[in-house]
Amino acid sequence: MKINQHTTDHTFTLVLDGELDASSSVLLDTELNQPSILEYQKVLIDCQKLNYISSAGLGVFISHLQRFQDANVKLVFFNMQEKVHNVFEILGLDSLLTIVPSQAEATAI
Amino acid sequence: MSLSRKSSSFMQPFAILSWVGLLVCTLLYARPALAPGVGTPPGWLLLGVQAVFAAAVFLQERARPDRLRGLDFVGLLRNLVFGPGLLATVCVVLHLVERLLKAEMPGTSPLLFTVLYTVNVGLFILFLARTNYSWRSLVLFRSSARLRRIWEWFELLLGFTLLLSLVPRSLPYSLTTALLGGLAVLGVYISSHQKWVAYLNRRQKIQAVLLQSGVIVAMGIFAAYFLQTQYDPLLVAPAPQHAFLVLNAFFAAFYAFMGLMVTFFNLPTAGVFEQKREEILSLQRLTQLIQKSQTPEEVYRMLFDSAIQTVEADAAWLEVESIDNSEYTGQHYHVSPDQAAAIQRLLTEYNLGHIEYLNNDLQNSAGFRSLELPYGSLIVMPLRSSKRQYGALYMLKEQRQGFDRENLSILQTFTSQTVLSIENLQLMQASIQNQLVQEELKIASSVQDSLIPKDLPIDNWFEISSHAQAAKEVGGDFYDFLHLPGRRLAVLIGDVSGKGITAAFHVAQMKGIFHALMQENPLARNEREKFPVPSKFMAQANNALARCLEKAAFITASLYIIDYEHGGFVFARAGHCHTLYYHSIKEEVSYFHTAGLGLGIIRNDSYEKHIKNQFYDYNPGDVMVIYTDGIVEARNAAGEEYGENRLLLMLERTYYMDAAVIKEKILADLEEFSRGQPMHDDQTLLVIKFRASQPDIPL
Repeated sequence: MKINQHTTDHTFTLVLDGELDASSSVLLDTELNQPSILEYQKVLIDCQKLNYISSAGLGVFISHLQRFQDANVKLVFFNMQEKVHNVFEILGLDSLLTIVPSQAEATAI
Repeated sequence: MSLSRKSSSFMQPFAILSWVGLLVCTLLYARPALAPGVGTPPGWLLLGVQAVFAAAVFLQERARPDRLRGLDFVGLLRNLVFGPGLLATVCVVLHLVERLLKAEMPGTSPLLFTVLYTVNVGLFILFLARTNYSWRSLVLFRSSARLRRIWEWFELLLGFTLLLSLVPRSLPYSLTTALLGGLAVLGVYISSHQKWVAYLNRRQKIQAVLLQSGVIVAMGIFAAYFLQTQYDPLLVAPAPQHAFLVLNAFFAAFYAFMGLMVTFFNLPTAGVFEQKREEILSLQRLTQLIQKSQTPEEVYRMLFDSAIQTVEADAAWLEVESIDNSEYTGQHYHVSPDQAAAIQRLLTEYNLGHIEYLNNDLQNSAGFRSLELPYGSLIVMPLRSSKRQYGALYMLKEQRQGFDRENLSILQTFTSQTVLSIENLQLMQASIQNQLVQEELKIASSVQDSLIPKDLPIDNWFEISSHAQAAKEVGGDFYDFLHLPGRRLAVLIGDVSGKGITAAFHVAQMKGIFHALMQENPLARNEREKFPVPSKFMAQANNALARCLEKAAFITASLYIIDYEHGGFVFARAGHCHTLYYHSIKEEVSYFHTAGLGLGIIRNDSYEKHIKNQFYDYNPGDVMVIYTDGIVEARNAAGEEYGENRLLLMLERTYYMDAAVIKEKILADLEEFSRGQPMHDDQTLLVIKFRASQPDIPL
């Protein structure tokens, strides 16, 4: 799992590359735990290269959900592969999270 | 050996008897009047009896077990000196008594002198036998087969000299001399074998020199006695076994003398050997101590102390690169950290920081001279394994040429032993940690196992078949059944996120919630409200879990309440896998795609909005397949997932079979798909097949 980040004025983007399982979810948690992240309006998660997400990986997003909502930070996923999207959908997260097909739409929100 | 033992016990009375015979013969020889009828015994008889006595004593000594115990050479010598040494003293005392008697009672003595003389001859022969067989132990110590053969010949030839004096005088004098001379030379040759001396330390060598001097003195006392009595006019004794006694005495004395010389000239080198021995011993001690110690710090301290002691360094310091922020970074001995740092800087400048380095002339290298150190020699010994560098050991000595290659190699051994121990300790800690985890998993696994219902509901309205297999790492799959009044059955299936013992706890919690909530509500206004509908159940469960589930954890579950009297069921899906269903009238297999959020994701009342009930009327022959994600996410060698589609195809092929058979077919297909791949997650599979409503027939 590789996690790259880049920022613009208002957005913070994390690019996930590989499989998000129990061990790599620790890395993701560290990234999302940065206090400075709450200063952005939006946190974008680029899932184009995310091949797999385990329940531990989902748990990391879930655990930060409330914190982002309280700080009024939007969490947006984009470029999600179908099988990963399926996992989000089965768990019911698609109704809770903002998942958009492309980066353009993600930026537009 | 047993034969010679026997001969030993046989020889003792024989020796005593022959000595008594010798005494009688000698007395008769001195005073024929004692037994007028017998007369003076002939010379050959006397010599013969002497020979028999000598042979008996020597054979008896020869047959005794080796006097040398292990490497206790000093003990052997001590026994010899305090045994035969005492004999010599007795001999001297007898001699003094004899002198005294001679002065006090001049008239009566010859007979007594003869007795004493015979006693002394006996003692001397005993002494010779003891000494020479002690020497044999030393000569043959780690000897070659050739030397053993030579020794045997030497013994045999010495024995032969006993016969020499019995032979009529016709033997030419020169031949006898040549023979005896040759034997003496052989004795000298044998005396050159003093290998044992090398095994003595300095102290033992000094003891050996003293004890060997003791042997020579004892030998001298005997010799002096015999030389003096030989010409004593009072003594009337026959000629002794000259050749044999002289040769043996010569060998005994010469070997002792050679040993004395060898030991004496070996004394100066004893210190060096002892130091080497000390080095080996301290290495051994170090190894033992290191194995006992619990922490890397203890190991380093031991290395440091042993190294200073062994190479006798005047100053030293140990620098340790800290592992996982442990506090120990090394220690100093008679050198200030500033000096150490200065030397280290210099070494780094020369690019010698962490390599094995020996400088025996610090004053002659400009860099070190400028530091104005009071030291002349330096060793740098890095501590490293193939994996990493642990630090380095620096040793200093005041004098120049203070260290040699041996110091270097012994330090090398010390450090490699230390590094090995450090790595072993790390491995051991890892393995203990591992064991704890294994233990935890075992507990979790048994907890989980106990949470899976062992008895499936049996009824003639439906068939249920179940399968549950935990992956090695315990996950959190669960399922349960509960009979409700009015021919209803509640079926719960779910999966707790996370692994290990926490997951097992949450499974237990979830089952507790299930059994608690599925209780009849006595205040219910109508039949339908007596038990919570699945969506209500999920909302209440979510509420209960909100307070105890950790932040990143969630649970997916599906609850089905089957009313088989009315042929319908209601279910709610809280983020759990979709239900696969065979519809017997439409003859169609499909998934129920319903919305529903996992438990613990939203922890407030708004959760209820995210969960829906779905009602369904079933027909006989319908099949419901419920499972956990471990089934559809199982992978093959190419990394592809088993998937919902393949599962659906399997049901299309098997729906007409019995529930148990359908389950077996699906599992067999799954097994074939993921053959050779490790199981990532727990797999749970339930197949429920509905039958036509039937009258209640007791089973």
